[in-house]
Amino acid sequence: MSHLHIPDGILPPALWLAGLVLTALLLVWSGRVTVRGGPRLIAYQSALGGIMLAVMALPVPITAFDYCMTLAGPVGVLLGPASAFQVSFAVTLILALLGQGGLTVVGLNTLVLGLGAALARPIYLRTARALGPARATALATAGSQLASTLAWVVLLVVSVRLTPSLAGEHQIAHALVQGIQRAGAAIVLPMLAAAIAIEALLGYGLARFLDRVRPDLLPAPSPARARRPAAARTVLP
Amino acid sequence: MINTFAQIDHLASAGRSPWHRASALGKLVLAAVYVGLAVATPSWGVLAVLLLTLLVMCASARVPVRLMLAAVATPILFAAIFVLAHVSTDWDQPLQLFARPMVASLTAVWLVSTTPYPDLFAPLSRLLPRGVGDGLFLTYRAVFALLARTERMWSALRLRGAMARPLRQRFAPLGEAVGTVVLSGFDRSHRLYQAMLLRGHSGRICGCRHYLELTRDDFWVAAAVAWAGVVSLALWHLRLL
Repeated sequence: MSHLHIPDGILPPALWLAGLVLTALLLVWSGRVTVRGGPRLIAYQSALGGIMLAVMALPVPITAFDYCMTLAGPVGVLLGPASAFQVSFAVTLILALLGQGGLTVVGLNTLVLGLGAALARPIYLRTARALGPARATALATAGSQLASTLAWVVLLVVSVRLTPSLAGEHQIAHALVQGIQRAGAAIVLPMLAAAIAIEALLGYGLARFLDRVRPDLLPAPSPARARRPAAARTVLP
Repeated sequence: MINTFAQIDHLASAGRSPWHRASALGKLVLAAVYVGLAVATPSWGVLAVLLLTLLVMCASARVPVRLMLAAVATPILFAAIFVLAHVSTDWDQPLQLFARPMVASLTAVWLVSTTPYPDLFAPLSRLLPRGVGDGLFLTYRAVFALLARTERMWSALRLRGAMARPLRQRFAPLGEAVGTVVLSGFDRSHRLYQAMLLRGHSGRICGCRHYLELTRDDFWVAAAVAWAGVVSLALWHLRLL
């Protein structure tokens, strides 16, 4: 659901201005954290950002509708919080320039996508020893997607509350608004649950494949993984 | 999707309209003014005129109709969700909620269709931390190769019946297929890194300043900005009954 990027002119200015400021601060922080990675890390981040954009373009048929993946969770696991946030920003800005999501809300869209991506690796590192890389990535992806979805819903709720509306002014109108909102929730919530499940399964498949052919690309979660031969360890910082 | 990317990129670099010849900085200013007005104006009249103006600008820049329609239609779903969550007593607000994102997203499409990406990203990358600015350039470049690879992988999956499996069994193999693209991306990033080292990467990919060079065709950009200013002054307080 984090892939449903918020367009311009919908949210109150206080909200998107705050989003821009917070994103700018986080980009400065992430720039400092990733500076030691140098050009190699930039090249790797860009490749994964390109894959995110490419994968977002694939419509996965699910019964009557198509779902577009984000890959934010697996990219977060592979890159770590700071780099994943930078990738989220680049992806969101390029999408905004293509008319997918707003220019003024680049900050908020980055926060929604980047929050999930940034949480993925900490979840993975805490669970990989017990669950193994594939299941841990699935769990991290589900957590990432859930965080992004919650952030998206919170934004929607906050923006509705910040803007004066008919609700509360008249009893019948209030009941009408509540009815529409409940019907919307009844449709949207199962879709959100399906999106989380799909992304988790994709993350599972991706990590299972990487664990078989290039385990060094997955972060080392425990001393057991760190005992691998030096040549097979993660190439990137 | 790759067609959309390729179409926009080709149009931006090979277009011959006055918009293409105008400076990138002027067009960025115009885009900022139009998006700013779209977001700030309380008048549907201003939004309607800006929308018409942008349609004319896109048509004169020879932006394909399909791209214009996609730009206008994409924000409708989110706007509809917000309109439903936010029922109002008058027609102004729902109209604004639909028109504002349309104006902004058409502006973005006009901007990328008339400005090559190095000119577009160079000024932005000066405002961003170096790694992030360079990441923008390289991500955009990587998209073309990876999109082509992803689409080939997708076609192969469909032809081999991966999408004919029961719903629950579709996604893990799909994830494995995406894993092959991740590996390809990793190899590509190594080659790119070596190329950067060979070319003497100095810490900024595009340090060029030609986005600042004004041309005669910036007159049209200035005229479009002035037109938006006049329209806003004249119609700012226009409301529906």
